Amino acid sequence: MKSLQIAATGMMAQELNVEVISNNIANMRTTGFKKMRAEFQDLLYQDLRRVGSASSDSGTIVPTGVQLGYGVKTGATSRIMSQGNLTNTEKDLDLAIRGEGFFGITLPNGGTAYTRDGSFELDATGQLVTIDGYQVNPGITIPPNAKNISINKTGGIEVIVSGAATPTEVGQLQLSRFINKAGLKSIGDNLYLETAASGSATEGSPGDVGFGDVAQRFLEAANVNAVSELSDLISAQRAYEMNARVISASDEMMSATTNILR
Amino acid sequence: MENALLIGLSRQVALKRQMDVVANNMANMNTAGYKTGSMLFEEHIMPVAEMNEMSGQDKRLSFVLDSSVYRSFEEGGFKQTGNDLDVAISGKGWLVAQTPDGERYTRNGQLKLDAEGQLVTPSGYPVLGDGGPISFSPNDTGIEIATDGTISTSQGIKDRLRVVQFENNATLKKEGETMFSTTQQPEIVEDVRVLQGVIEQSNVKPINELTSMIETLRAYTSMAQTMSQAQELRRQAIEQLGTPPRG
Repeated sequence: MKSLQIAATGMMAQELNVEVISNNIANMRTTGFKKMRAEFQDLLYQDLRRVGSASSDSGTIVPTGVQLGYGVKTGATSRIMSQGNLTNTEKDLDLAIRGEGFFGITLPNGGTAYTRDGSFELDATGQLVTIDGYQVNPGITIPPNAKNISINKTGGIEVIVSGAATPTEVGQLQLSRFINKAGLKSIGDNLYLETAASGSATEGSPGDVGFGDVAQRFLEAANVNAVSELSDLISAQRAYEMNARVISASDEMMSATTNILR
Repeated sequence: MENALLIGLSRQVALKRQMDVVANNMANMNTAGYKTGSMLFEEHIMPVAEMNEMSGQDKRLSFVLDSSVYRSFEEGGFKQTGNDLDVAISGKGWLVAQTPDGERYTRNGQLKLDAEGQLVTPSGYPVLGDGGPISFSPNDTGIEIATDGTISTSQGIKDRLRVVQFENNATLKKEGETMFSTTQQPEIVEDVRVLQGVIEQSNVKPINELTSMIETLRAYTSMAQTMSQAQELRRQAIEQLGTPPRG
């Protein structure tokens, strides 16, 4: 019975769908999280009677034929990189990107990762780091006697050193863009890695052509929409149940066959 | 006597395939751009040797043949996703994808960009515009797709999605990955309506599938019962006729 295997592919696909949806819901409050979506495709078809084959000598052809499908497969789990809402946090080192771009992060192994999560901190040496302590590119150090850190739209960081009347610029944030940002590889901790599919990073300052702005004292919320996730969850669950029904129906058919001969 | 079994078998083989078609529809309930298939059966009449001396005429035997799988090209539901690269065609029309085996047609508009910035289908085949494959440069932001399929970005108009239609959709052949192929010449759809940020869902109607599944199952079981009765009849005949007369 092929229908058993076909229904099994359907159940596996819906199981994966529920996993993707539950991950989205679990990360509803994760800063900079981008929701994912499972995309399905139908599997191969077997031609039992080919479309367009001759059905007589006088040139008539079979108009539709018999094609049996083999079920469903997961084509991709793609990330939807739409903008999340900005939430005000009143914290000096919280940054959100409005528009295109990622913050570059230097990993402990020397590689570069990218993130939209701009909840930064200072480490013991005054360097701007992520909450995991990884350095934010291109390495910005805030002097110890600085106060009033101000980061403008274009990523320039100014501080007022105690005693001075005018602000001094201590660094300039950089952003990275990708042609195909949906092709970035997630490694957890809100970080992404460049891949062959994403293309190589284009560096630029916030506000440059094609790059987004930086908003200080704001964080980008996850772009997960609770209502649409829940409706997707319901439809995935029902689809799973219906595929399970196909399996039990196929089973009943097989048992009817075995009962012909007693 | 064998005929009852053979006719029953032809019915069961056909029903098994119908079950496969139903299972495939159910498995693809959440596949964007999927089109429902359903089985068509026809009666196949077997010529028999005729014997006219008897009072009753010989009856013809009719077997079941699964002659074709019919596809419903009805539009699936539209689901808003808000994703820039999701497109759905409202009404007639197919998107054209360029594959190594030639042009393929799809209604699954979950488009992507590849590493070179080319617009591709979920399987990675370039989607064709009026001027061939459509590419974006790193400076292109804010991709907008108008209802007539024109794609524009911050850098101006790029191209227009090629949306085609066919004289007869019924002869389209499924190729998997929600793509279809055909030998027909595609014609450009003039009054096309492309929606951005929307995907066309599978047009499988779960209730219909569930009903046809139950129907198939019951027909199969009753056929199995008929066959088993035919078998029983035969067993009894052998038993009774085979018993030597007493006395």
